Amino acid sequence: MGEALLSRDGIRLGLTAGDRTEAIRQAGEILVDIGAVEAAYVDAMHEREAVLSSFVGEAFALPHGTDASRVHILRSALAFLQFPDGVDWEGEKVRACIAIAARSDEHTDVMARLATVLLDGEKAELLRSTDRPDDVLDLLEPSAERSPS
Amino acid sequence: MAEIKGSEVKHVIVACEAGMGSSVLLTTQLSKRLKPYGVTVEHLAVNRIEGRPDVVLTHAGLADRARQQAPESVVLAFTMFLGDPVFDRLEEAIKEDGTLSS
Repeated sequence: MGEALLSRDGIRLGLTAGDRTEAIRQAGEILVDIGAVEAAYVDAMHEREAVLSSFVGEAFALPHGTDASRVHILRSALAFLQFPDGVDWEGEKVRACIAIAARSDEHTDVMARLATVLLDGEKAELLRSTDRPDDVLDLLEPSAERSPS
Repeated sequence: MAEIKGSEVKHVIVACEAGMGSSVLLTTQLSKRLKPYGVTVEHLAVNRIEGRPDVVLTHAGLADRARQQAPESVVLAFTMFLGDPVFDRLEEAIKEDGTLSS
């Protein structure tokens, strides 16, 4: 098992964003804050989104940069952002974003878990509504460290 | 127009703009579904497609670019990452040796 790509410091629950651009800006800021990407990567996230919406269904979106912008990734990492009130995403409603900074295929395991979660209505709703970061880790990154309890 | 028989499909490419987000998600799902038929599924940025993959699956917004990149491949476009009918069509054709065309 490799190093966890999603960790507690990349999980932000109960956020609000006025529109898609603001949600992506927030997603990019987290990736910058946790030392995963340079600021130029965030520009590429907006650019990528303009080419094609990153909405994938079940009120989830997967914002990320362009192929060329991989050079601005310092280390592969993921961020999880939850918007309980929803964000308008080109006519779709998004309540959770997984922001991706991946140099190659390190995040395949997390994406496979996400695919399973999205096909399970109850688990998908838990990710969209929980106020416990550990719920997010349990479903997407079970190998990550938990909060002390 | 490209065409292929279901029994000839051994290699499917899921193409995305960067090959980092939704295509990875879809690849993990489709790999599971198509593995029993001996079909491998791989994801790639649309600009990195080379040669003549048996089938290229891509979002409708990228289909023209995928066709330019792989003019001899069957290019199937979807609009939904979860549960688009084209995924059932692909599996059905592979299972029943039906014809896929683009």
